[in-house]
Amino acid sequence: MVLIIGGAYQGMLEYAMEKTHYRSTDVYNCTRDKVDIDFSKRIINNVDELCYACLKADRNPVKYMAARRSKWAKSVIILNDISCGLVPMDPTDRAYRESVSRMAMYLVSEADAVIRVFAGLGKRLK
Amino acid sequence: MNVFISGGAKNGKSSFAQDIAVKMAKETGRPLYYVATMIPHDDEDRERIERHVRNRNGLGFRTIEAGKNLSAELHDPEGIYLIDSVTALLSNEMFREDGSMYRSAPRKITAELREMCHTFDSLIFVSDYMYSDAIDYSESVEAYKKGLAEIDKMLASECDLAIEMFFGFITEYSKDEEVPEELLEMAERNDAAEAQQAAFGATEGLQRPAHPMAAEREMNFPWAEFNKHRNEEER
Repeated sequence: MVLIIGGAYQGMLEYAMEKTHYRSTDVYNCTRDKVDIDFSKRIINNVDELCYACLKADRNPVKYMAARRSKWAKSVIILNDISCGLVPMDPTDRAYRESVSRMAMYLVSEADAVIRVFAGLGKRLK
Repeated sequence: MNVFISGGAKNGKSSFAQDIAVKMAKETGRPLYYVATMIPHDDEDRERIERHVRNRNGLGFRTIEAGKNLSAELHDPEGIYLIDSVTALLSNEMFREDGSMYRSAPRKITAELREMCHTFDSLIFVSDYMYSDAIDYSESVEAYKKGLAEIDKMLASECDLAIEMFFGFITEYSKDEEVPEELLEMAERNDAAEAQQAAFGATEGLQRPAHPMAAEREMNFPWAEFNKHRNEEER
């Protein structure tokens, strides 16, 4: 698995699609409403949104991913880094922010390669 | 050499940008310009500007005040221009005095700065990295962040050097950065699949021999009758 991390609007998905030649039909966009990933899609985008969906459903996002490890072992996963700002007032948002970082730490440890995207340009961290 | 610099607040972007600009001027003997983009609104802004002016004293900068329409203010093709900051430039153009928002400002500035990157060869842009927090801001603030990111991405791509400052530490980003083998393998597989599909698609365009029964079926089946009958039914 290749993990691509970056801040908001930094162009992680564009980077992934440019390098892998996958198209938008190969991308699964996680949403806040559903604890679900279509693992037939090779690029899993916005995995941070899955964290939010899991919290709302009272589920552990890292456990969700860990239980399905073989399904994404050959995929690209994109995560928005939201760890560097103010602590949110809302308790759900606080838990969300921390769970995204826990997810990032887990995925970093599992990844074959980790790329950080800054202003559209990638840098390999692992 | 055009340079793009971003990073967190008070991480040393401005002084590093000044160092590069001064070094360029010393090496080439070309004139040095500081493009001041901040339009002061209060005493805090004025103090900040004074502090920056003091820091630049004696470095040989000529100051150009240009809060908006930057390209109209840059006339010297030989000039080394330090543009500090892209962030202020965008907010000046995007958020108007009357409280309204100019939504096309990011697009306008992206085009303007891209053009400048092609016209000049010694531009140093300073921007701000503000993309890693968990708070959902208002729609207009998100539009601003997104707009700034669009400008940043264009600059990082057009400039010869893209730098992130982190408390004085410098990280260089490049289009030539190594891409993990895993991603390249995916691209290879996708290209192969596409080539196969293209080849398969091409055979579909060829004239295939007609089914031996086709002519007979066509002749024998009374389409005209059938259609007439159906049309009458519909009426």
